Amino acid sequence: MTPRPYALLAELTHRCPLHCPYCSNPVKHSQRDELSTSEWSDALAQAAAVGVVQVGFSGGEPLLRRDLAEIVASARAAGLYSNLITSGVGLGAERARSLRDAGLDSVQLSFQADDPALADAIAGTRAHAQKLNAAAAIRDAGLPLTANVVLHRHNIDRLAGIIDFIAALGARRVELANTQYYGWAWLNRAQLMPTREQVERAAAIAAAPRDGLEIIYVPPDYYDDRPKPCLHGWGQSHLTIAPGGEVLPCPTAWSIPGLEFENVRARPLAEIWRDGASFNAFRGTAWMPEPCRSCPEHDRDFGGCRCQAALIAGDAAATDPVCGKSPLRAEVDRVLALVNESEPSLAACAPRT
Amino acid sequence: MNEPLDLLARPALAAGVRLQTDRITGEPMLLSSEGLLILNATSQAIVERCNGSTTIDAIAESLAAEYEAGADELRADVLECLRDLIARRLITT
Repeated sequence: MTPRPYALLAELTHRCPLHCPYCSNPVKHSQRDELSTSEWSDALAQAAAVGVVQVGFSGGEPLLRRDLAEIVASARAAGLYSNLITSGVGLGAERARSLRDAGLDSVQLSFQADDPALADAIAGTRAHAQKLNAAAAIRDAGLPLTANVVLHRHNIDRLAGIIDFIAALGARRVELANTQYYGWAWLNRAQLMPTREQVERAAAIAAAPRDGLEIIYVPPDYYDDRPKPCLHGWGQSHLTIAPGGEVLPCPTAWSIPGLEFENVRARPLAEIWRDGASFNAFRGTAWMPEPCRSCPEHDRDFGGCRCQAALIAGDAAATDPVCGKSPLRAEVDRVLALVNESEPSLAACAPRT
Repeated sequence: MNEPLDLLARPALAAGVRLQTDRITGEPMLLSSEGLLILNATSQAIVERCNGSTTIDAIAESLAAEYEAGADELRADVLECLRDLIARRLITT
């Protein structure tokens, strides 16, 4: 039986005012031909009908869609719980109130660092001060605030200060996720990957509990011996709709060569979820090669990340190369050895465009 | 997190949490930015009474009247359920 999707990531646009070098968006993307307001409304209603209960509005920067409040209202009308995932650029008091009134349930606001100069250097634009204003606007509108900070070589040593900074903002929760190496981050991997020593220090700092602030810490999987349980299995509970209407089993599935994505403009979402070739490509365990196929852990980690397998192994059906049982683990260790012996710089990164 | 719960506290859904009926299964669920929690019938009855103005004691009494059960027994059930939901940050007092 086909499982049921619970969560939808709605990428409303790939346009973004920030230039973060760790962005996982496609390096090449179209800025035209985004779904219209009514096409999003229809897609959200279809998502709810097939089982989705939560939608994350993301991008790019979803605030660049002038019809965002209308799209949020459509989600609410469909009974979906909605979360806005934003840089905060363009989120003033009035906009925050209009989104709340449209039925927005919560906001996840990104920061690049606690120090304004470093934060702006990472974002490639003067965004930090606007983010502080956005945090105030979110609080004043009565919307629950989660902060997120993507960690990498150039900010991870400031983790204790970053947590203090987030706590002072009035956020109830912070996601401190290390960079995932897709899209721009894949291009900039040698500059962004932290050292083993940095990672060990950060894990200890993140583990210390803070009153009133829930801390979610995601370590970099390259330093693990087992892969992350990506999406809790391909085509099991999650789907992504890209700005142009392409339906993806994972937000970075575009990076897998040969996988073709169907469009909500052309086929009902329920059919794409159930019968789409991209959704069935890695569903279940039948696609698995050894060592995954006979591995007792494959029900827990699902063989890891297909996109990472495609990028590192050149084969999306391979065992995730970060796994200690993968024949390609030595390649991951080679990358880490280089990173740990080099002195990378933020300025050498290719900024997201 | 393990502080004793005051029977005169007035629990409410935490900000950003919604109680909803699933349109596929008809089950009650709590939705938050972190995910969803399917509720059983008892938890649903308790959560429906968490309106920020009713005390835990009054919630137990109201349930005792509705289900024709002992108030002491229900008080223990209500406290156990609320402790769990508070630990999950779905209910605040």
